[in-house]
Amino acid sequence: MLPEEIITQLNAEFQCRDQQIRHLTALYSAHPPSPPSLNLYGLTATGKSSILRSYFHLARIPHAVINVRECITARHLLERIVAASLDAVEEADDGGKIDRRPYARTENLSALCVNMAKLLEGREKFVLVLDAVDKLREGGGTLIAALGRLGETIPSLALILTTTLPLAPSVLHSSSTAFLHFPPYTRSELLTILGAQPLKIFSTPPSLDQFPDYTPDLAAEDDAWLWSRFLQAVYDSLSKHTGRDLISFRTCATRLWRPFVEPVVAGQFGTRDFSRLMVNRRHLFQVEDWVLHRIINTAGPDDDMTTAAAKKKAPNVHVHALPYYTTHILIAAYLASYNPSRTDVTYFMKHTDKRKNKRRAPSAASFSVTGKRTGAKHRKISRHLLTPSPFTLDRLLAIFRALLEGTVPQVADLYTQIATLSSMRLLVRAGIGSNDVLEAGTRWRVGFGWEFARALGRSVNLEVGEYLVGGVD
Amino acid sequence: MEHQRCYIYQPPETEERANKRQRTSKFDPQSRLPERLQIYRSVWAQQEERIQNTLEGADSATQENIVNFISAASSSPDEQKFAIPTALIVAGPSIASHGHFFERLGRRVRDANSAYIVLTSGECPNLKTLLKNLIKKVTSRVEDDDEDEIDRPSTSSRHGPKLLNYDLGHVEEWQKKHRAASIVVALQDSEAFDAGLLVDTIDLFHSWLDRLPFVLLFGLATSAENFEERLAGNSLRFLEGQKFDVIQSDEIIEKLLHATVASTDVRLHIGSNLCRRMLDRQKDHVQSTQDFCDGLKYAYMSHFYASVPSLLLKEGITFSDVTADIFEAVRNLPSFRRWVEDTLDDGRAQDVRNLLEDNEYLFDQVSQHIQSGQQALLSLSHAASVLASIRQAIQMSPTVRLSSIWIRAASGELSGSPLIRETMLSIKKIPSDKLVHLLASLRELEGNYFSIDLASSQQRLDSLLKNTDTPLRTQHDVRNDSLRTTVVAQKVLLSKHKAALSEQDRAYSDIVTEFHDRLETYFASSLVDPRTLFLSEILMYDLKSPHTEVFQPKPRFAIERALASPHDYLGCDCCSGVDGNPAALSATQPATAIVYQMYLESGTLINVSDLWSAFNAIAGDGSDENEPKTMALFQRALAELKYLGLVKPSRKKTDHISKTMWKGL
Ligand SMILES: Nc1ncnc2c1ncn2[C@@H]1O[C@H](COP(=O)(O)OP(=O)(O)O)[C@@H](O)[C@H]1O
Ligand SMILES: [Mg+2]
Repeated sequence: MLPEEIITQLNAEFQCRDQQIRHLTALYSAHPPSPPSLNLYGLTATGKSSILRSYFHLARIPHAVINVRECITARHLLERIVAASLDAVEEADDGGKIDRRPYARTENLSALCVNMAKLLEGREKFVLVLDAVDKLREGGGTLIAALGRLGETIPSLALILTTTLPLAPSVLHSSSTAFLHFPPYTRSELLTILGAQPLKIFSTPPSLDQFPDYTPDLAAEDDAWLWSRFLQAVYDSLSKHTGRDLISFRTCATRLWRPFVEPVVAGQFGTRDFSRLMVNRRHLFQVEDWVLHRIINTAGPDDDMTTAAAKKKAPNVHVHALPYYTTHILIAAYLASYNPSRTDVTYFMKHTDKRKNKRRAPSAASFSVTGKRTGAKHRKISRHLLTPSPFTLDRLLAIFRALLEGTVPQVADLYTQIATLSSMRLLVRAGIGSNDVLEAGTRWRVGFGWEFARALGRSVNLEVGEYLVGGVD
Repeated sequence: MEHQRCYIYQPPETEERANKRQRTSKFDPQSRLPERLQIYRSVWAQQEERIQNTLEGADSATQENIVNFISAASSSPDEQKFAIPTALIVAGPSIASHGHFFERLGRRVRDANSAYIVLTSGECPNLKTLLKNLIKKVTSRVEDDDEDEIDRPSTSSRHGPKLLNYDLGHVEEWQKKHRAASIVVALQDSEAFDAGLLVDTIDLFHSWLDRLPFVLLFGLATSAENFEERLAGNSLRFLEGQKFDVIQSDEIIEKLLHATVASTDVRLHIGSNLCRRMLDRQKDHVQSTQDFCDGLKYAYMSHFYASVPSLLLKEGITFSDVTADIFEAVRNLPSFRRWVEDTLDDGRAQDVRNLLEDNEYLFDQVSQHIQSGQQALLSLSHAASVLASIRQAIQMSPTVRLSSIWIRAASGELSGSPLIRETMLSIKKIPSDKLVHLLASLRELEGNYFSIDLASSQQRLDSLLKNTDTPLRTQHDVRNDSLRTTVVAQKVLLSKHKAALSEQDRAYSDIVTEFHDRLETYFASSLVDPRTLFLSEILMYDLKSPHTEVFQPKPRFAIERALASPHDYLGCDCCSGVDGNPAALSATQPATAIVYQMYLESGTLINVSDLWSAFNAIAGDGSDENEPKTMALFQRALAELKYLGLVKPSRKKTDHISKTMWKGL
């Protein structure tokens, strides 16, 4: 394919990337030599991977694309480079078999150099794309630097490294690297790109018998019209502030689309009643639920304000209750993490009157006193906002017993529960210890926050705040 | 005593008859063991089947939903997916039963042409191992165990480069061959996975999503919100799916209890104390259906393994099956004694003599009573179900669970209890619409153990209701003010109607009264105290002893007690204290115990040299030549305390150790 044809085709597929595509075509065409290494950078979803793949596919230059995200270790990356290059070279030779035996192992960088040099000897040009090199899980900077110089040692190899941010010269150790930037899309670019593929208003087209003049063409026109206006509204009200990249914007728009056009599908509004539709569906653009990344897409298509409000209260309905003593263990753990141990005597000493232990609600006076002493500038951070401090198992058990009215037999179940809680990560072992979770001297920490602790307390009629030093307000 | 005669036969006087019986030399606890095991197996097999059915039934709805979700996710394989279909399965804090849940789920998922693998946090410490396991499980590849080889591509250099064994390319090859609709990866205990590992895994799976149809299932013990919080926002955008709630374990336990303990078709009954103990443990400590079933099984085993007369529970037992010592054992049962006394009270001395002397006569009696006792116990269980379903049908509050009703019934507390009275009272006042409902739900329970004539009540009610469309009220109900206030506005209208309605109301009242009386007699006759039954020791297992020790051991308590009062365990004369003071330390006690007791009296930091002098004062004899020996004892004792985790060296002060455990926690 001629370079001009490629450009036209790519431009049709990827709008608003004309300049970058032209750069690519100029740098990597069949004949003139290409830069030994190129760093192609840009934020996520700026089309780096897709455009590279499409371009090299169309340009018919022998190439291999490695998705570095899929490589677990550095060794894995090296093995994959060789395997992918072998495949690519074979394909370029129109299925001519290469003797693969010499390439069985690529344990380290020098093996890679040897193997690649052997493979590419006497060949014209070979492009190796390492996509998302900055996502490499091990190996770090030196490996990238070494890979970057691969292009210098093997003349026919042209290397492309894609990253989110440009590679710093200190990482590359080389001045011959070229750079190509894929800038993030602007508002109008985003609208153009997404506007090119409108979603349908009617997931099942209205029957032709009933509406004989609503032809598919007409429908497509309506879809495009409403979709582009809808995209603008979504961008201006939601995506502008949160997810500006193409994927977030696309996800958000797709999620909102169905509920948005629901009145149109129901026949309440016409397909071009955009302003009335906007007023009717304005609540969709007022809550942030749609842009939050959630696994569970809580809002269904038939959602309106009332159910959304009801949902606010709903989530806790299905919380599985923990056993009685387990709940107390967790509360004790929370208190042990957030109360300094020297206050234990005041809070948990057994009195005949249990009430004496509890904290009285902090009065305004007590605050002003501390304020004066420590100076007004020194703002106290509420304890529960700090990270939990570690405690020993015996302290936990002592507080646990102090919280309960009666006595609890020292059964092994208590320890089983502690082990269970630690595998649920509600209790976390602090520091590295031996593998024995119940070893004496092991220190623990809680793995949950104040809200959860309070809810736990309420489930067993215990106001955790009353036992917490400093209180929570 | 008026039945002095009984003592001719020397019935044992003390309560500790068990000890005496064991001391008779010819008693053989193993007697007829194989037969007893045989009975145990057949009885337990029946229960086990019920347990399986209950468990499978309990979460079948949830599993169905999950399977549907998976097949919906894989229904359009060609469409490009932006996120991994994900099911958050909130399975509750009873982690022990999660394994079984995922196993059952797996059977269903595999049926739908999907690959299904379960990973646990234990087998996945890092990404590499996780992937190796995943690949092994998906492709069912047998791996050579040679550690050296694991990271290397297979040795033979005949084939050129091979995939590393943690390369998902293996799965891709497998998928090309097998074309599974989806590859379902279940992380059984997702919370226990390292958060970073989860993020990496999700990232990796997402990048393979265009080639491998992954579906992720996360098993959660806490809540979906909690889990989402732990994942970084970026991973969340790679996931999209639904939440599934597994039935709570206390509800399953309730169902299990209904199906096993409170069932009306069991040969060995579990007593109320044991049952209460098992349920309390579920409520207080562990929540695990597995544990409940284990407890039940252990109870059954204990009964048949340890009690010789349990042989009498054998179906179709004949006289020749029963050996003499079994008869002897029966004659020693407390319930036998009570029964004999009652028989004597009735003045049937000859019968008693026969019971004591004639094995064949005893056998007949025992067989009869086993039958009737079974009957009584089963109707008791059934009565509990009837009561529970009455309360449910007329929506009485507070809701009392079947388990608690059953336990009260089995401990003989139910008859005449406030619970019964309250229920009967609301039946007296029941309006006709509720009665219709109640009769319908009771008819499901009709049978051998519940045979009051519901049909006639139903008929009469039906014919009465044909002529009215407002609910009828009983005479007791009419006096109920709160119901009257709602019609105050139509007072005139009502008083006009009253005369016309009263006829029907009276007829209705008759039906209700009759129904109420029948129920009352039914409850009175079936709610017996099972412990008063003759042979209740054979029909029912209700012993606390081996059960508590096995299921709720107290290791820490045992160690602390052994160290603090060694006499309790050693039982020797020398350690029982000095001058009648059992708490005093004496040189004869084990050295570790002496040091421990001194440890108990000291503060958080202990000066070792002080400890040594104190120890030497008690254990040493003051002579210089024996001091090295005493020192050795002391050092060993200290080492043992350290080994037990009671002390550790302190960095705060030289020559000090710090105390790490307190007694009684
Ligand atoms: N200009 C564009 N026109 C159409 N789709 C685009 C464009 N740029 C990016 N995309 C789409 O956005 C998604 C993410 O692109 P990708 O190439 O993976 O971005 P990057 O590698 O920069 O993170 C892909 O689905 C791609 O098709
Ligand atoms: Mg990319």
